[in-house]
Amino acid sequence: MIMIYPINFSLALEDDPGKYINRKAEVWNLFYRMMTVAFVIGSVVSGTLIWLVWRFRESNPKAKKTKYEEQGKW
Amino acid sequence: MTLEIQKPRPIWQIMFSTHHTDVGLLYLITSLAALFMGGTLALAIRLELFLPGSQFISDSMTFNRMFTVHGTTLIFLFILPFASAVGNYLIPIMVRYKDMAYPKLNVIAYWMIPPAFALIWLGFADFTWNAYAPYSVTRAPGPAADMWILGLKLLGISSILGAINFIVTILKCKHPDLPLSKVPLLAWSYLTSSLIMLVAMPTFAAALLMLLTDRLGLSGFFNPAMGGDPIAYQHLFWFTFHPEVYVLVIPAIGFMYDIIPRFSRKPIFSHVSGIAAFVLLSIVGFASWAHHMYATGMSFTEKTVFMIGTLSAVPASAMHVFNFIATMWGGRIKFTTPMMWAVGGIALFFSAGAGGVVNSAMPLDFMTHDSYWVVGHFHLFVMGTIAFGSFGFLYYIFPFVTGRMYNEKLGKIHFIMSFIGTIMVFFTQHILGLYGMPRRIFDYPPIPEWIAMNQFITIGAMIIGIGMTIFLINIIYSSGKGKEANMDDPWAVGGEKYYYPYQSKTPHH
Repeated sequence: MIMIYPINFSLALEDDPGKYINRKAEVWNLFYRMMTVAFVIGSVVSGTLIWLVWRFRESNPKAKKTKYEEQGKW
Repeated sequence: MTLEIQKPRPIWQIMFSTHHTDVGLLYLITSLAALFMGGTLALAIRLELFLPGSQFISDSMTFNRMFTVHGTTLIFLFILPFASAVGNYLIPIMVRYKDMAYPKLNVIAYWMIPPAFALIWLGFADFTWNAYAPYSVTRAPGPAADMWILGLKLLGISSILGAINFIVTILKCKHPDLPLSKVPLLAWSYLTSSLIMLVAMPTFAAALLMLLTDRLGLSGFFNPAMGGDPIAYQHLFWFTFHPEVYVLVIPAIGFMYDIIPRFSRKPIFSHVSGIAAFVLLSIVGFASWAHHMYATGMSFTEKTVFMIGTLSAVPASAMHVFNFIATMWGGRIKFTTPMMWAVGGIALFFSAGAGGVVNSAMPLDFMTHDSYWVVGHFHLFVMGTIAFGSFGFLYYIFPFVTGRMYNEKLGKIHFIMSFIGTIMVFFTQHILGLYGMPRRIFDYPPIPEWIAMNQFITIGAMIIGIGMTIFLINIIYSSGKGKEANMDDPWAVGGEKYYYPYQSKTPHH
């Protein structure tokens, strides 16, 4: 809440009379930037998930028993 | 072990029982009936949109009625009752109590659902599952609209009663040796979602009463002609139904917390962070309702508050995702049907969440508002996360409910077809929205891109439909003639016994 008024004020300063902003271009610019961020993070997490599924599947030759399996409790 | 199928009893004994597993079975059957009825409407909607112009639905009013009942059925009669079914089966067992805290209240809560189901389907209202004013006050034809309002009223009371029962069972009836911090995460998910329900639902209950009295001409809360404010209805609606999204998704995450450690053959990475994330989600869920209403002329300050409120759900959601990933890391994962659904659900949860972040940014929300992007985003959450978690858990408790095993191969085919279909339908709907197609339209201009994408979406929906038919055959056949399950370890993964042995000590009443 403390931050909202300064943000509001600083954005209002952008709207000086005579200063025209191509809002459509601004919006699409923001859209592509946010999508780039979302896709980068999404790719990293999804890639990790895919690798995880491949690497730690039971049928992977490298798979070995977890320490919890030996105790029979998890 | 209480096994419904192995120990056949007359159906009336189950219907009039107050035992938690019997009530759970009634909830389960009702929710599956709703799934197939609501799903059939979805396929009809998609077939209608395969090409521009009218295909087999004669007018837009019928189309509006179909998607209204589709949405109402799948949200209120499939997802919520399915969560109640699982809760009834497992919460008393998880907190080591003989039943729910109030067994009679429990059965009353269930028996409010069939009349509500009948009111919604016999009325077939046309004002979308939001029932926005002023259309719902001044123009929506009765008695369909009034039947919908009464149906939702009953469902609201049922949900409140169910939520009270879960909260009291978990907090007051848990075994004295079981500290709250050690209660399984699935039970924690029910505790937090029930608390959300208890805080959020009365607002909508009040809004429904106001809507009804407005329709009867007794008041004018939302009627502009009588000095009322239609936007007030939106605030009341979303104050309930944005938190309701968390009521739907939190149990689905709870299901994953039960499935993933078992099949990863490892304990959950962090029990505490799971609890913290549930509690955080249940708090921030109330700070974001008006992000559905950016286009109503709110002030910049209000919009900023709700944008920040919405984004604050991201860390809590990410805590769950990282908890799942860390649990699987270093495990020896057995990809049974429930595990495939859980992992697929996590992947799609992340995709839906990424779309949600884009939606919460005000200027972007204006672009996507009321377009197919919103349809894609909402359904990716509801189908890709909540329904995926629910299907996975249905396969997971299948041996517990029936004493038999489902067909594993058919379960995996169901998953693969649903996963492919979900991506085809709901990812494409995002793009269709960016191409400008509005939602809730019966007909559309013959723009080549729109036609191609609508056809691709309809094919995806058909793939999901075929997968669901396979699922139906599998559960019906397997519950009667499936192989008897090894009740200690149905999937041969080892570890602790499958579901908790206290069940055997519970007298059936």
